[in-house]
Amino acid sequence: MKKTHFLPFIALIMVIMLSACGTPPAKDPVPAASTDAGTASTTTGDETIKVATDASYAPMEFMDLDKVSGFDIDFLAAVMAEAGLKYEVTNIGWDTLLESVKQGTEYKAGISAVSITDERKETYSFSIPYFESTNMIMVKEGSSIKSATDLKDKTVAVQNGTTADILMSKIMGQNSTNLKKFDSNTLALLELDNGGADAVVADIAVVREYIKNNPNNKLVGITDNTNFNSEYYGLIYPKDSDLKAKIDPAIQTVIDNGKYAEIYQKWFGTAPDLTNLKAEITKAGTS
Amino acid sequence: MTDFRFDIIAYYLPILLKGTLLTIGISFAGIIFGSILGLIMGFGRMSSKAYFQLPTACYINFFRGTPLLVQVLMVHFGLIPLLLDRSDPILAAIVALTLNSAAYTAEIFRAGIQSVDKGQTEAALSLGMTRRQTMRYIILPQAIKRMIPAFGNEFIVLIKDSSLVAIIAAPELMYYANSMRGQYMRVWEPYITASIIYFILTYSLSKLLNWFEKRIN
Repeated sequence: MKKTHFLPFIALIMVIMLSACGTPPAKDPVPAASTDAGTASTTTGDETIKVATDASYAPMEFMDLDKVSGFDIDFLAAVMAEAGLKYEVTNIGWDTLLESVKQGTEYKAGISAVSITDERKETYSFSIPYFESTNMIMVKEGSSIKSATDLKDKTVAVQNGTTADILMSKIMGQNSTNLKKFDSNTLALLELDNGGADAVVADIAVVREYIKNNPNNKLVGITDNTNFNSEYYGLIYPKDSDLKAKIDPAIQTVIDNGKYAEIYQKWFGTAPDLTNLKAEITKAGTS
Repeated sequence: MTDFRFDIIAYYLPILLKGTLLTIGISFAGIIFGSILGLIMGFGRMSSKAYFQLPTACYINFFRGTPLLVQVLMVHFGLIPLLLDRSDPILAAIVALTLNSAAYTAEIFRAGIQSVDKGQTEAALSLGMTRRQTMRYIILPQAIKRMIPAFGNEFIVLIKDSSLVAIIAAPELMYYANSMRGQYMRVWEPYITASIIYFILTYSLSKLLNWFEKRIN
């Protein structure tokens, strides 16, 4: 057996090796193509801009069957129509979003209830703010927890890499084992429901949606304006993207002309209070 | 559980079934390409030549010794963007499943062929058969029969493991089950439905393999 030459198989291996040798020349056009795409986005407006999202944040963005839906998606549609840009939103998940938009080769922008933070500004460019949000604590009815400081020695569930994660890491200490980090907000919210955590911290819209969807579970949302400041969502771009200059005025127009309030009403059932948001936009414009 | 919502299952069922088609597609592609690559790797592993034996041994040990989830992420974020300069979750899923299952099928091939007694080869050779004929008419028919249960096992594992590619947003069954969870923030409805569909897939495949095994025997 040992000395047998399996000629056909050796031939197969040769074919594979040869085709492997053929790969480098095939790779050559790739960098050229990517620079082409790079110049296309700066010269013409015809190119379809690929926008990434993590559609697991109902009602901000979620999958309705195979269609990306939600407040952010309607808002983006209004903004892109205003700016006259062609675009396409794809659900690629949170971690892939952060990585892809950073590289900026395929996805030129992201919209996914992304809070504008100083840390993120070091890696990304942001549009002017378009949404005011805050983190909210969700507990079971009758819990002794009344504010964020009560959470110090409790078990808290958050979504990994969100502002809730950053805030709670500061309050509870980095790498605290009592801070459970999950892959998605829903999993974090369920952890509380199932008794694995004393509280969940997540964006206010997400917590409210969860409580609304599970009316029998006796859950309460707590806002804490002293420990949790307002956060502002922005579109996220690769560093120094030229899209910012095209899209910022469109966002401003959509907020000013009432289209924004219309979309807000559709998803949240109330009219938005735009005082803080408008102040924040002015601040972002001057800084 | 008291408020189980059949209405959202009914609403999501068409898209879950569409996802199921992709699950079947990527699993099937993984099985086919994995078996072809595994066959090559299996013979490489058995080769007496170090330049065949060593790389295939490294390959098999690497892909059997690291989690499929890590391989999926590595192919999706590393390999595919490197080769194509863009990401493609479905392609990444097929490549990762192929590379992974090749390592397992290579070992199934090797074990199957080596399980045939040496005396069989010697007898065939002494009858004047060439080594190729010996492999083709004497060893492989016996080996393949013994490989079938192990292959069946591998195929079933592959179908179940294909659910891992939901993490790179390949729109298969698990991905839509997760979407359903995301939209309604409920767990029982999406995951019970998904598990029933997975069960139907694997159970009918194992029945099919049993039938095939009986036929060949």
